[in-house]
Amino acid sequence: MELSEYVQKGFQMLADPGSFDSNAFTLLLRAAFQSLLDAQADEAVLDHPDLKHIDPVVLKHCHTAAATYILEAGKHRVDKSTLSTYLEDCKFDQERVELFCTEYQNNKNSLEILLGSIGRSLPHITDVSWRLEYQIKTNQLHKMYRPAYLVTLNVENADSQTYPKISFSCNMEQLQDLVGKLKDASKSLERATQL
Amino acid sequence: MLLDLSEEHKEHLAFLPQVDSAVVAEFGRIAVEFLRRGSNPKVYEGAARKLNVSSDTVQHGVEGLTYLLTESSKLMISELDFQDSVFVLGFSEELNKLLLQLYLDNRKEIRTILSELAPDLPSYHSLEWRLDVQLASRSLRQQIKPAVTIKLHLNHNGSQNTNVLQTDPATLLHLVQQLEQALEEMKTNHCRRVVRNIK
Repeated sequence: MELSEYVQKGFQMLADPGSFDSNAFTLLLRAAFQSLLDAQADEAVLDHPDLKHIDPVVLKHCHTAAATYILEAGKHRVDKSTLSTYLEDCKFDQERVELFCTEYQNNKNSLEILLGSIGRSLPHITDVSWRLEYQIKTNQLHKMYRPAYLVTLNVENADSQTYPKISFSCNMEQLQDLVGKLKDASKSLERATQL
Repeated sequence: MLLDLSEEHKEHLAFLPQVDSAVVAEFGRIAVEFLRRGSNPKVYEGAARKLNVSSDTVQHGVEGLTYLLTESSKLMISELDFQDSVFVLGFSEELNKLLLQLYLDNRKEIRTILSELAPDLPSYHSLEWRLDVQLASRSLRQQIKPAVTIKLHLNHNGSQNTNVLQTDPATLLHLVQQLEQALEEMKTNHCRRVVRNIK
């Protein structure tokens, strides 16, 4: 995990009890996680009375450094020992190391979900709806008397945030074919998970 | 239910008794072929020369026969009704039998062709699937994210579209369950009653 000098410098400042007392440290740490994980968070996350006494430039630097580190750590799925080692290298005292690790552990799942959801993917099927009809006649063909299905797949496009629908008609045999193939896929999935 | 043949139609069909049965059978074959692939005027000219008549006459004869076959197939009229409808044309016993046979032999295929006219929605053609596991991405390493990638082939207005889609295992099971329910629906009493009673 390569971290820039900027991040390192920010952490060194954060480690210094002279610049950040215990309370300020905790607040800044929480603010960093909040900025990343809370969809509603904005710049106001650093607007706490107990942080007012700190130079805003320093505040922003440390906040950014912490957020950057958290993302990198999340991306590489670092374990507790890697985390502690890095923080100790930045001259964090034991109390602050523990605090950081605890906060990280608490937010780990949300962080991983967030990171996992970023990226390109194929349109994703979210649901299906169907309609069964009995066809009697058209203007071209009378006395049809056959069942037909209309299937609609609800699809989600993560990047463009669009939700197109794919609709198609099929007769009984075709639907059986479709279901058969999907069942094969799910059996295959079951087998794969047992390996 | 009897077919209602217009005067013009009857005139066109009047050509048929003037040629022998082999020719009528041949016209029948041409008519069905034209329904399958579209008409080809050159065929009329060739036939016209051989029979020593104008190509218009041949064309009308074939078209008349085509219309007779498609209308009968569309309405799915019974043998008896077909015979009675054709009877008014005053053809010979032999010709009537030939026309009936033409109808019965080609009815199923003609109905299939007619059903392909103006298909409204894309229809299912086939489906391919593949099991994938995402191991990492630029933003997150060491993942185990199973997914099913699906290639759905649909036919629409003669051309084939392919949709490449993906889904997760939970949704896949949901899809299977929902669609199996759809299939089961046809076996319910309600549907069976409808099918039995609408004829």
